[in-house]
Amino acid sequence: MKPRRERIDPVAWLALPAVAYLALVYALPLIMLLARGVMGPKGFTIEPLASFLSDPFNWQVIANTLKIAALVTVVCLLIGYPTAFALAWSSGWTQVVLLAAIILPLSVGVVVKAFAWQIVLRRDGILSQLMVSLGVWDEPVRLLFTETGLVLGAANVFLPFMILPIYSVVRLIDPRLAEAAATLGATPVYRFRRIVLPLTLPGVLAGVVFVFSLSIAMYVIPSLLIGDRYQTLATLVGRSFLFMRNEQLGSTTATVLLVLAVAVVVGSGVLARRLGRSA
Amino acid sequence: MTGNISRRAALKAGVGAVALVAAPAVVRAQAKEIVVGGAASHKPWVESIVQPFFEQKYTCKIVYEGTRSLVNLEKMQKNKGNQYLSVVQMDDPVMILAVKEGLLEKLTPDKVPNLANIRPDAVHMDGMWANYLAPWQGIAYNKNVLPNGVASWGDVWDAKFKGRVILPSLQNTEGLANLFMASHLATGKPMSEAEKDTDSGFKQLAKLKPNLLTVYTQMPQAFNLLEQGEAWVIVGALSSYALERKAAGAPIDLAAPKEGIFASPSGICMVQGAPAADLAYAYINEMLGAEVQGKISAPTFALPTNKSVPPPAGMPINATMHSIDWAFVAENRNEWVKRWDREMGI
Repeated sequence: MKPRRERIDPVAWLALPAVAYLALVYALPLIMLLARGVMGPKGFTIEPLASFLSDPFNWQVIANTLKIAALVTVVCLLIGYPTAFALAWSSGWTQVVLLAAIILPLSVGVVVKAFAWQIVLRRDGILSQLMVSLGVWDEPVRLLFTETGLVLGAANVFLPFMILPIYSVVRLIDPRLAEAAATLGATPVYRFRRIVLPLTLPGVLAGVVFVFSLSIAMYVIPSLLIGDRYQTLATLVGRSFLFMRNEQLGSTTATVLLVLAVAVVVGSGVLARRLGRSA
Repeated sequence: MTGNISRRAALKAGVGAVALVAAPAVVRAQAKEIVVGGAASHKPWVESIVQPFFEQKYTCKIVYEGTRSLVNLEKMQKNKGNQYLSVVQMDDPVMILAVKEGLLEKLTPDKVPNLANIRPDAVHMDGMWANYLAPWQGIAYNKNVLPNGVASWGDVWDAKFKGRVILPSLQNTEGLANLFMASHLATGKPMSEAEKDTDSGFKQLAKLKPNLLTVYTQMPQAFNLLEQGEAWVIVGALSSYALERKAAGAPIDLAAPKEGIFASPSGICMVQGAPAADLAYAYINEMLGAEVQGKISAPTFALPTNKSVPPPAGMPINATMHSIDWAFVAENRNEWVKRWDREMGI
């Protein structure tokens, strides 16, 4: 069954359209962007990067960006993980309705969702009213234009990207594995930790990578839910190009954003694999 | 009697005909179309008021490309030497950038006679561009919460406004007035001096932080919050937007506080190397003329710049009007935006 080594597997040609497309509209512009960040009037230079990193404000922005992306990912994981099981273990109409509930919101634009969240997060918004009537809060609190509001809103937008990869993995888990463990005396906690969790890790990893990459680079959601007083790397990139017309600063900032995103994604992959092995 | 009139009428018609044939002759000999770049939000009134008027008078065609000021600048830069835009209408701060890059053709009274009929402060940098309208900036407020309006710019520092104030970002043209007004409030200096003392302005603005709901870059979002009552005031709001929302029935109004209001002028310029230059000059001349300004100032809720056009009803004619030194702004703006990020952040 081993593929023949002497020539390219003909199946590989199926990837050609995607490779050609991405090379043209993604890889090439990306290389040009990165090049602009390190090319000065006298050729190669790391001066723009050095001056970017020497500004403490930019470190604050990097910290903001990573913090928000991490929190959004954690919130999505906490909500998405059990939801994926509910989705996988349901059947018939229940499953159809659940799937629709998760996928249909993707067709609503981010701007529309952000405006909806404004209504929810306002001082007299639904959330505030609910918390006051439940006695959790003494008085109405505004979450709009706060970090909490941003995390809640962004997690809502990106949640399907966490649920769906985990769901697709959970669906493939053979239920007999856990049952067999149970007959051998494994407790539910032990079964979850040693059987279910390791088997779902690839899905979790995919979900984390999706949500983290999307939220580290989000632009519209922060500009509507937290405003101009809270900068992230993505909003700084937008401003450098669109307002300050400083393409080099924009490219440098974009490079920092890209390196961080790739580092975290690759790092979490390595970590997950190690955890999977030790579990 | 009748003979007299008809002779006079005939004479008039004759003169008119000669003028019609003679004056735009050059215009007719060349292209019959010009492309005007401008703000997307101006499209409705340009296409419904200016365009029919001009196209009929000069038997030509206008193509209006509505976008953002910086995009217009970009279009001029990218097509330098082979321009397709003839005239551009955009914000004054962007005009300065265009002048610096040598993209504009100076306007002169022999090409644009109406330059002599507009207020002197509406002609900039020796005629590099001129203002055809001046929307004004005051404090937009929610009438349900503040039925008496806002009397002074200083009022919004009061603790009762905690979390209820929205400011425009310094990235937005309308965002700069606050910096200068804050300096004026802090130092008590006249505006022309206070304007240069931005350090005092920043310190005063930082004191406003507890009262801030947000700082916007997207104006519709800010007005949405104001109309819903989450925000009580937008400090430095533009008449062209605020009064339009008010006319549409929103529970808001625009106050002209006692310290005065700011002119936020709309500029018009000639692109260097513009195609159909004569038609372009004619268009600019009409935009500065009494007839067009009389037609557009009321629906745009702006003050005319032509001296013979009375301000439309409901405008604060007695308020002190402050102008902003946009050349000074252009020199310092990026530094100010940096400082704003650091000192006004959450």
